[in-house]
Amino acid sequence: MDDLLADFVAETREMLEASEGEIIAWEADPSDSARIDTIFRFVHTVKGNCGFFDFPRLAGLSHAAEDALADCRAGRREPDAALVTAVLAIIDRIALMVDAIEAGEELSAGGDEELIAALNAASEDDIIAVETAPAHSPASTILEGCDAFADEETAKRPDCPAAVQRSIRLPVDLLDRVMSGVSDMVLARNDLGHRLRQAGTQPTIDGPFERLTTILSDVRDAITRMRMQRIETVFAALPRLVRDLSADLGKQVMVDLEGGDVELDREMVEMVRDPLTHIIRNAIDHGMEVPSDRLKNGKREIGLLSIAARQSGNTISIVVSDDGRGLDEEKIAAKAVDTGLITASQRTQMGREAILQLIFEPGFSTADEVSNVSGRGVGLDVVRANLQKVGGSIKVSSQPGVGTLFTLQIPLTLSIIAGLTVEIGEQRFAIPQSYVEEIIHSSAKALDFTRVGETALVTFRGQRVPCLMLTQVLGLDVGDIDERDQTMVLLRLASGDLFALAVDRIHTHGDLVVKPLAPAVMSSGFYAGSTLLDDGQPILLLDVTNIASNYGLVSDARTRVLQTAEETDSKAGKDISRAMLFTDFHGRRCAVRLELVKRIETAPASAIDRTSASPRAVIDNAILPLIGLPDGPFPAEKVRFLRLSDGDSELLQAVREIDDAVELTEKLKPVTDDPLIEAVTLVGDQTVSLVDGHELFARYGEPPEITAKPICRLPGSEWSRSILGPLVTSAGYDIADESSEPKEDGSEICIMLEEEYEAAAALEMPIADKVIRLRSLPQETPGEDTIYRYDRDALVAALHKARAAGGNR
Amino acid sequence: MSDLMVMTQIAGRRCALHAHDVQSVIELGAVTPVPQTPDFIAGITALRSQALTVIDCRLALGFKGTDWSTDPRAAVVSVNGYSYALTLDAIEDITTSIGEPTQITGGFGPEWSRVATGMIETSAGPSLLIDLAALIAGPDEKSGDLSAAA
Repeated sequence: MDDLLADFVAETREMLEASEGEIIAWEADPSDSARIDTIFRFVHTVKGNCGFFDFPRLAGLSHAAEDALADCRAGRREPDAALVTAVLAIIDRIALMVDAIEAGEELSAGGDEELIAALNAASEDDIIAVETAPAHSPASTILEGCDAFADEETAKRPDCPAAVQRSIRLPVDLLDRVMSGVSDMVLARNDLGHRLRQAGTQPTIDGPFERLTTILSDVRDAITRMRMQRIETVFAALPRLVRDLSADLGKQVMVDLEGGDVELDREMVEMVRDPLTHIIRNAIDHGMEVPSDRLKNGKREIGLLSIAARQSGNTISIVVSDDGRGLDEEKIAAKAVDTGLITASQRTQMGREAILQLIFEPGFSTADEVSNVSGRGVGLDVVRANLQKVGGSIKVSSQPGVGTLFTLQIPLTLSIIAGLTVEIGEQRFAIPQSYVEEIIHSSAKALDFTRVGETALVTFRGQRVPCLMLTQVLGLDVGDIDERDQTMVLLRLASGDLFALAVDRIHTHGDLVVKPLAPAVMSSGFYAGSTLLDDGQPILLLDVTNIASNYGLVSDARTRVLQTAEETDSKAGKDISRAMLFTDFHGRRCAVRLELVKRIETAPASAIDRTSASPRAVIDNAILPLIGLPDGPFPAEKVRFLRLSDGDSELLQAVREIDDAVELTEKLKPVTDDPLIEAVTLVGDQTVSLVDGHELFARYGEPPEITAKPICRLPGSEWSRSILGPLVTSAGYDIADESSEPKEDGSEICIMLEEEYEAAAALEMPIADKVIRLRSLPQETPGEDTIYRYDRDALVAALHKARAAGGNR
Repeated sequence: MSDLMVMTQIAGRRCALHAHDVQSVIELGAVTPVPQTPDFIAGITALRSQALTVIDCRLALGFKGTDWSTDPRAAVVSVNGYSYALTLDAIEDITTSIGEPTQITGGFGPEWSRVATGMIETSAGPSLLIDLAALIAGPDEKSGDLSAAA
């Protein structure tokens, strides 16, 4: 939450700085409507952002200013100098409050009412009320003129206490240059490595070369992190926003987020934050019906709002769709004619699509009532303006009564994406991983490859899915691989449509640095960029969305919503159970229902903590309960798990081998002697025990504890860095930076050598709560809680214990 | 005015490229073909971590066939922020130009007029000064779509 707050403060301040010039220009000419629009957007955004946080005073002030400005925009009120002054006083007050919020102080109460009253009374001459208001000197200095205001603004800044993390701003160009320099360095290193291998082992060179490699990969990570951020940071705030909004409005809305792991430039993350918030507000306020209306229209009373992010080459598309009442074409057209955006004759020539896009025009709103939540349609013109500024776009499609779908496209100046490399003939192509739903070999029986007319179809989870041959799409010679021997990559588009792409074989997957292609190549519409393989060979990244739409595989909002409804129907009607087959460590062939399987994970044995009665493992910084471990030691260094989830709780099932996903077609014979087994069935003439999901989660399920890796502070010696460090890291700890200050909040664990500890105790230095003391001799000193420093088991156990205690905090 | 010129042979004719447009001359390595693009785009190749679009100048001019020998080296040029590698008959020399490019009555022939800035006198004799942006846009029938898409 602190991050969000810091973002809010930084953003508001940035906008303040940006709009300062506008404010002054507005004061010079109060009737300048372009200035009013800018200032209006500022207060509107502040008001909107306050929705995240509990700042009733800020919300009150900005709402009042917005009201007054909206009157001016609508022509209900003539802006005059008095109004300008009153609005400026409010903006100044907002700046003060933001400073106070950042410093974590409470701004002295009072004065707000006077400011708000001044707005309404501004047409009369009693603006003096503002000047007499206590405790806000800038608000009164501003009355003396804009010059004084500007001075005050600059003078005030150094006073605000800066308790913020130190950071600097850099031009993106510079980062780009560093980034491409590092990429070149990596390639040079690969080249050098290649030559060294040819020359044979040379210890004097290999050592430094290894070091270079490590440093380079560190630098590369750091550079990448400098620019990239997961879109999750934006998504994280959305469920709360949706919850609060829908509660305020008496509506029930379920939010479905997808693609949170898509990474994009930090600045782009900032760019999408506001647009998304605006669109979601609009969707809930205007789009969603109240539950009773929804039931009347034959919909579920809980509305569904889904937000999905996908990345394709140098663009990211975010689709926000709701199943609300949709946009009313007639109403939009009528309103647009009313406000003079279009003429009546123009209207008759416009198609539905074109009319819908009018909602992005400035000053447009169809809402009958002005509400506290989404306001007056200011959102969408700001949204579009902001997106266009960075070369993005926004589109809307909607069907009355069915829903609305907003598609945001944002370019990435640079991107690293997870990609799948596929091969047809001799050539390789990359596909962004985010589209890939599943990979199936087309000889698999369940796929049921058929041709209907010229169109190839495959069956995927009981659904007929169109199939494209990549060789045909690209006009290449059909290879010698039979149609039925190809590999199907099932791709899901951001709009939710599914199709299969047939390729000869899958090559590999990994992170790809996507570079833009020349316009002549881009214009073919098949490629989204290029990327270099490890050997320096360039390959093309396929533009999945464009290829799909060239073949008419992208449906509009209507069919999409219907489709999902059908999918749920068919799921409910026809009970085809699918299960994941696996062999556990006791050699039993088991199956678990596929719906429960969230992911297949592989983790080193060191990530498993077996010291307590119920074993646990750390996966992606989450501590999960673990079942199905072998009694003895692990047969391999890495263990595979099925990560099972019931939606809330999760657990890991350790497996020796994972077979395949199968359909459970044979009869299920209930089993009574083992409560964890639901039934026994036949799969391919062999018996399989089907795991009882209910019993499993009742016994072992736990909501995952998301923990950042705990930090461990080591003694500052070469021994601890090179010998102790790796052990501590493998036990799931991060090593504390030696130069950093120890934290006193108990979040760290400290390992100290006995001599060090005694010295510290003798000097009465502060000692962290959690200390593991190491002695250098195997013999124990009675009464002292120490561990011999080469007693690995005891040390690991102590670390696990400390973490378990930390996790329960 | 005298500028440095990179002297080349394209489709059997001597052509000059402004030296400040030419970033480097590289040995052309493996070229990855790009299906579904006009013929004159030979593919993409890598220069360090950069991807270059390889343009066959003869085909980009609109000549068919490959009656000419091809230099294993390619000239790397940058147009509108994108880098291209140009394959041509031969990269000969660097010389200085003498005077400004001039037009010739009657033009240079349909293929050449589109890409020519004019005739330029150099110390190696007269040659055609090439407008890179026009060259890279490809033969006429394609250039319309390309500018629309770009």
